[in-house]
Amino acid sequence: MKIENASFSYDSSRQIFHNINIQTVSGELFCLMGRNGCGKSTLLDCILGIHSLQEGRILLADKDIGTYKPMELARHISYVPQVHIKSFPYKVKQVVLMGRTVYLGNLGVPQNKDKQIVEQVLAEVGISELAERPYTQLSGGEMQLVVLARALAQTTPIIVMDEPTAHLDFYNELMFLEKTAQLILEKKRTVLMATHSPNQAFFLENCGIPVRVGLMYEGQFYAVGKPKDILSTDNMHKVYGIESRLLQDGGWRQLMPVRTDKEY
Amino acid sequence: MKQQSLKKIFVILLLVLAPVGFVFASLFVGRYNVSASEVIFSLSNFLGLTSYNLTVEAQTVVVYLRAPRAIAAAFVGAGLAVSGAAFQGVFRNPLVNSGLLGVSNGAGFGAALAIILFGTQIAIYGFAFTFGVLAVAFSYWIARIYKAVPTVMLILGGTIVSAIFSALLTLLKFIADVNSQLPAIVYWLMGSVASVNYEDFWTLIPITLGTVILLFFGWRINVISMGDKEARTMGVDVGFCKIMIILAATLATAGAVCIAGVVGWVGLVIPHIGRMLIGNDNRKLLPVAISLGSAFMVLIDTFSRSVCSAEIPLGVLTSLIGAPFFIFLLKKTKGGGWQE
Repeated sequence: MKIENASFSYDSSRQIFHNINIQTVSGELFCLMGRNGCGKSTLLDCILGIHSLQEGRILLADKDIGTYKPMELARHISYVPQVHIKSFPYKVKQVVLMGRTVYLGNLGVPQNKDKQIVEQVLAEVGISELAERPYTQLSGGEMQLVVLARALAQTTPIIVMDEPTAHLDFYNELMFLEKTAQLILEKKRTVLMATHSPNQAFFLENCGIPVRVGLMYEGQFYAVGKPKDILSTDNMHKVYGIESRLLQDGGWRQLMPVRTDKEY
Repeated sequence: MKQQSLKKIFVILLLVLAPVGFVFASLFVGRYNVSASEVIFSLSNFLGLTSYNLTVEAQTVVVYLRAPRAIAAAFVGAGLAVSGAAFQGVFRNPLVNSGLLGVSNGAGFGAALAIILFGTQIAIYGFAFTFGVLAVAFSYWIARIYKAVPTVMLILGGTIVSAIFSALLTLLKFIADVNSQLPAIVYWLMGSVASVNYEDFWTLIPITLGTVILLFFGWRINVISMGDKEARTMGVDVGFCKIMIILAATLATAGAVCIAGVVGWVGLVIPHIGRMLIGNDNRKLLPVAISLGSAFMVLIDTFSRSVCSAEIPLGVLTSLIGAPFFIFLLKKTKGGGWQE
């Protein structure tokens, strides 16, 4: 996927982002970072085809995504939301089965083959025992794994995640990230993930997958590159307005926030 | 595998036979005394299979009074229930029914207008149907203020349009003739299929059409109930599906309301009974709602004309019989997975 000179605004007075360029590499994880309201989520929405760009273009297999029908686009890109707002008490396996919609044709219904894929995906993510549970009763961590499984059932080369671990506890956060890393390693999926935690980028890098960070600031990329190059205390100060310290222990890195910059 | 498909055939047979059975059974029930054999023979006479000597009264009661209203009630129940189930899914809200976008209030206004202007049955049906559809179109047009027709705007549009038509209806009631027109309007609004003839059966066409279209969208409704954005990322053309589902549900509901008046509760509670029995997968829920809805309406209508010498309005009975039954089911299934 290639994004060229992308710009977007809801109305002419305020631009959400401009001059965004990304070219993803197959099998990498691209972290989109930046403060609240910097345009991360809107950019993801444009990639998902919810909004269309004002200027520039997003190319998928050398074709502008504006020319893709929802059905075609969903064969290339799947989506893991920050929180799924629950509706009716469907069974978990039914929710995951919905990921197969894209292969069913216009009015088709899932076949046995699709149900087998669902079983397989549930096993891969490690939630086979949840299959028959009403999904409205799941915990936040379990829920994110179900949505991840749904995206996997969609079998797309690219997965877009919008702060997928924002509501998870420590254990579930790490577990979700480990599953994601495993997915990238074993299945060569490309993941585009918005996140707020620089330490997630370090963690994922330590899982042995190629990670890049795009740091957004005032609607543009301030810096793009490997976590160890980009996530510096200087950049954190510039982009987030915080003082921080970089802790290093062997190969491990963590950014520790210290205080907000009053002058910022 | 084989056993599974046998079970499937059995379930489908049951779903089809239940309403047919209820319609058939209702022919035997009523305040005018017709013996069982007279019922059978008047049917076979009507179909030209036999030519027994029967009283004209018995023949008329069975073939021209009980049969058309039972058939109409079955279609009305099916249309209301399936549209309600579809709307609950699309609007991600278990509390909505098919009147959400103003179809009932629009139809009510249309019927009142026809009663005041013409007073003929055909005009009432025609006006009720037309204004029901117009009301929904108006709601949809309001929601188009945003390009994407978001769910919230649709609900808001429906609320606005319902309010307008309900005000206009009140105005019509106010100017209507107190001795003849006002009672006619009030009775119409209470709901009844008492005056249905075979000539009115054209209204079953939009009901059937809408119902069949909805059946094709069962799986899409599942996906749309995940939310517009997620449905879109799973490859569903949400805008197109929504317009088709709203169109189909409106045809079915407008058809039902114009023939039976405003019958509340069926479009809300029958889908929920279906959810408790079969689950929330709309591929299964919609057919079950059709079957349950039609059986329920036939039962209610038969009750309405048999229990005392005056007809009890359908809207009254659907609530009075439906509500306790709903409570019973809620207790029995412990909410059917509805606990948060």
